[in-house]
Amino acid sequence: MGESSEDIDQMFSTLLGEMDLLTQSLGVDTLPPPDPNPPRAEFNYSVGFKDLNESLNALEDQDLEALMADLVADISEAEQRTIQAQKESSQNQHHSASLQASNFSGAAPLGHGTNVAATGISQYEDDLPPPPADPVLDLPLPPPPPEPLSQEEEEAQAKADKIKLALEKLKEAKVKKLVVKVHMDDNSTKSLMVDERQLARDVLDNLFEKTHCDCNVDWCLYEIYPELQIGKSHPQQWAVLQKPCGFAVLRNFYLDNRGKKESKETNEKMNAKNKESLLEESFCGTSIIVPELEGALYLKEDGKKSWKRRYFLLRASGIYYVPKGKTKTSRDLACFIQFENVNIYYGTQHKMKYKAPTDYCFVLKHPQIQKESQYIKYLCCDDARTLNQWVMGIRIAKYGKTLYDNYQRAVAKAGLASRWTNLGTVNAAAPAQPSTGPINGTAQPNGQMPQAAHSVSAVLQEAQRHAETSKVKPPMFPKPMFSTIRIVPITALLKSRVQPSPAVAKRPPMPPKRHENPGTPSGAGGGEQDFMSDLMKALQKKRGNVS
Amino acid sequence: MAGMKTASGDYIDSSWELRVFVGEEDPEAESVTLRVTGESHIGGVLLKIVEQINRKQDWSDHAIWWEQKRQWLLQTHWTLDKYGILADARLFFGPQHRPVILRLPNRRALRLRASFSQPLFQAVAAICRLLSIRHPEELSLLRAPEKKEKKKKEKEPEEELYDLSKVVLAGGVAPAVFRGMPAHFSDSAQTEACYHMLSRPQPPPDPLLLQRLPRPSSLSDKTQLHSRWLDSSRCLMQQGIKAGDVLWLRFKYYSFFDLDPKTDPVRLTQLYEQARWDLLLEEIDCTEEEMMVFAALQYHINKLSQSGEVGEPAGTDPGLDDLDAALSNLEVKLEGSAPTDVLDSLTTIPELRDYLRIFRPRKLTLKGYRQHWVVFKETTLSYYKSQDEAPGDPIQQLNLKGCEVVPDVNVSGQKFCIKLLVPSPEGMSEIYLRCQDEQQYARWMAGCRLASKGRTMADSSYASEVQAILAFLSLQRTGGGGPGNHPQGPDASAEGLNPYGLVAPRFQRKFKAKQLTPRILEAHQNVAQLSLAEAQLRFIQAWQSLPDFGISYVMVRFKGSRKDEILGIANNRLIRIDLAVGDVVKTWRFSNMRQWNVNWDIRQVAIEFDEHINVAFSCVSASCRIVHEYIGGYIFLSTRERARGEELDEDLFLQLTGGHEAF
Repeated sequence: MGESSEDIDQMFSTLLGEMDLLTQSLGVDTLPPPDPNPPRAEFNYSVGFKDLNESLNALEDQDLEALMADLVADISEAEQRTIQAQKESSQNQHHSASLQASNFSGAAPLGHGTNVAATGISQYEDDLPPPPADPVLDLPLPPPPPEPLSQEEEEAQAKADKIKLALEKLKEAKVKKLVVKVHMDDNSTKSLMVDERQLARDVLDNLFEKTHCDCNVDWCLYEIYPELQIGKSHPQQWAVLQKPCGFAVLRNFYLDNRGKKESKETNEKMNAKNKESLLEESFCGTSIIVPELEGALYLKEDGKKSWKRRYFLLRASGIYYVPKGKTKTSRDLACFIQFENVNIYYGTQHKMKYKAPTDYCFVLKHPQIQKESQYIKYLCCDDARTLNQWVMGIRIAKYGKTLYDNYQRAVAKAGLASRWTNLGTVNAAAPAQPSTGPINGTAQPNGQMPQAAHSVSAVLQEAQRHAETSKVKPPMFPKPMFSTIRIVPITALLKSRVQPSPAVAKRPPMPPKRHENPGTPSGAGGGEQDFMSDLMKALQKKRGNVS
Repeated sequence: MAGMKTASGDYIDSSWELRVFVGEEDPEAESVTLRVTGESHIGGVLLKIVEQINRKQDWSDHAIWWEQKRQWLLQTHWTLDKYGILADARLFFGPQHRPVILRLPNRRALRLRASFSQPLFQAVAAICRLLSIRHPEELSLLRAPEKKEKKKKEKEPEEELYDLSKVVLAGGVAPAVFRGMPAHFSDSAQTEACYHMLSRPQPPPDPLLLQRLPRPSSLSDKTQLHSRWLDSSRCLMQQGIKAGDVLWLRFKYYSFFDLDPKTDPVRLTQLYEQARWDLLLEEIDCTEEEMMVFAALQYHINKLSQSGEVGEPAGTDPGLDDLDAALSNLEVKLEGSAPTDVLDSLTTIPELRDYLRIFRPRKLTLKGYRQHWVVFKETTLSYYKSQDEAPGDPIQQLNLKGCEVVPDVNVSGQKFCIKLLVPSPEGMSEIYLRCQDEQQYARWMAGCRLASKGRTMADSSYASEVQAILAFLSLQRTGGGGPGNHPQGPDASAEGLNPYGLVAPRFQRKFKAKQLTPRILEAHQNVAQLSLAEAQLRFIQAWQSLPDFGISYVMVRFKGSRKDEILGIANNRLIRIDLAVGDVVKTWRFSNMRQWNVNWDIRQVAIEFDEHINVAFSCVSASCRIVHEYIGGYIFLSTRERARGEELDEDLFLQLTGGHEAF
């Protein structure tokens, strides 16, 4: 046992060393505060962080403190005391350590996990020789050992348990953490720590807590890649951070459902039932059903400026195209791309930059590639509707049921939250407003409240179950190396493809003013609903359509 | 009592003689003659028959079959008058359960006793209970296709016939589990073998056999199969099936409820087999990439089932990482007392260091492979000019997390390359590592694969991965051999990978075996971690994701149309398909359906959908009762709920699918 104790000591000291690094990196000099009146185009304002070092460097003091507070809040109560002390000590160093911070490597494990691991170990130091002196940190003494039990076996058992615990904490420490800066629409920013296991939804929830806005499912995060505007002052490309929530598509079903209700009061119930069953059919079977999508798209040829029109088909296994002179039967199709290693992004301004035929472009690339490369596939659709169909379709094919589960979970959470804030109103849970940008509060009267309430509670139960199960899920989505994240209501995002969203004078986040697409078709909500119904049709075409 | 006589021997009651043949429908069978009246009950008649035969035997399964009316006389309290039986009736006193040979979804033949007197729906349910397949409503029986007589000379290889005809299940009781199988299978070695046949995937078929088997060449060929479904509301006897006939058992409705690998291995396996044969015989089309995935899964499943790892390997969670491994390791070690290496295993992650030849393709470069000192630690690959410079800065360092690993191997050419596509913010960096021999290659390759998934070589799966790679290499030496090297029979698949048994014949024609093997192996690396049940489930899911999945084709003629068209029936919709081109003309969903009617006289099905859409068609390739049953069956299946569990609402099923007996 003696030997193992020493080893544990070593481990412990390495951990402390790492923590040391962390604290050093936290105490860094700050950037000048952001321009109080940033230009309307947000991306100029957004900064991408290449790595942790930079991201930490970019933080401001108050951010840091908030961050630390967050970290502390996250830590379980049992460890609270020790951590508190650590936090204090780390803040004491805040300034003294700033000089050593420059060489901090972004890959080192970071975040409260490390702290936790350290304390986890510190708890069983009682019967071990004291750790080697820590150069920087004065760790508070561990709590007094519990009454020693005379049986050696029991001690060994307890020790084994502790080691186990320590290993778990260590594992926790290995989880990569990242500090991101989130831009709000009132031009404020929030910094928060995200860890790689978090779903974007969790990040959003975190944000909701901080901003006190309604936890509507409509919000999403999106990530901007200013890096791809290589050497130019114009933003060339931004991308929607896909992991947040593929909720748009699901919402679409609901919205569409809603729209139909309004137009045809006769089949109201039937329709609702249909949509439900359609959703269920697509996502709750033994395998998910990918909407049947096919059509001609423009593909940017590798390394060339020209765009070639090809006939593409979406299948569960990937995107295929019809080779020249062949038919679109399964046996003739050629594989264009499979989804394992790529994420999908919207492209903006491709018409200008890449001479795309239209501005409705999407991009498929490995999430880690952030500069132009032959491995990035650029595709261009004829109109916004097709673009959205493809993006949603690909997301369904790629993420499958997770999309639905996450949605259900979010709906449940939003439902809970809205219940909590406005007792008795339910409409936030069943997204009801088809065409208003961000949801203006949650207290809108809902024509069919009793019915809705009923369904919501059902969804809620279901979703709570989901939430329980999904806790243990491994991270589902590839993680970007750096992120500048913006929080936006999805409706605004969708709508903005059609027209600039109206500026709603609502507190915290407002719909972002997206780059208007020149020459966009049709008007406000109509366009939005149009593509939704199109997607519905695509799905229905797969299983047979209504009319 | 019938048969009162006067002294002179004249019958004074209205009794008459009834002749009953004993045995199955055999004109030379022995017969008994009874004296009965119109008021005699069937039960009494049965008793008399048994008395007359005067043989000690269990007659409980016997009943009377009325040949002319094609009807069983099962209501023992009915009188002969009520049935309308007169002296000229040809009656057979025979067993209700008779042996049939079932051709299972895995193409194996199984002899068992099926009920010839119950409606097929119940008979299938009983068969499924015997085979321990849940949800029998999804299955049904088909007539075996008529054999073409032309190739008489070709000797059919004697195949093993499994026999379950002796097994009798106690009614009403859920079969208990004994030694990992339903108790009734554990009686003898034969039945045990039979259970293994049912619950374990079969080895891949002989490629030559696969090429000989008939495949549908067009949509109209695909309609043939569906004309052979038996009626679920009538009994086997009524449908002209005789004892000893061959019948196919297949999943008929493509709506699989509650697939659970734990509770029904037989169902999962048989479903997998049906999916596999569907793909191999080109009943359903898929793309090349999809076929490779299917082939890889088949290969993997076969490997697992042959190695006997049927059960879930304990605790092998694919997400198990090095710390878990170290932890479990630790727990084991703590029992003993050798704690030194505990933390070694925890803190030291194995590394690879060696001289390798590296090639980095760049524009305008003439440089080829160059020798470098390469260090592979955790998930990072660094290379140096030489070993001496290793402590310094490497020439380049690559984190392989999330990278793409492509094997570039030619065993006969002794070329063992690993192509790495490492994504970085700047784009993909491409790098080739060339190893000297198989051993080295296997170690590095395994490391790269794990690293690409974010795991290190401390991972518990490292050793097995190395072994797997070595095994693959040896496969490629034996399997993917020279041109025209057709492996010999199904046994060949045991030691070598014969890709031709895993893909549909059209890929056999398109690719050489040595082209297929690497592609299948490449696809295999994505599925290599799956357990048997998971792999089967994955296979089924991929099958279900195919666009053409679950469509049963029937040739019909729509009202007002002059040409034959195809009607596709899926679990939620009807599809009108152009016969010549194969394009979908129109789809109708069941959820919008109001009602459907069948006119049995003119063989026409008329369906009314919401918004007053009416569709009518007559059936050409199959009888309209098959279409009717399909529609009703799918609607029945959609009413199933988890809460109701295994209970079957048989009446509802028969209501939805039957109704034509009257005609």
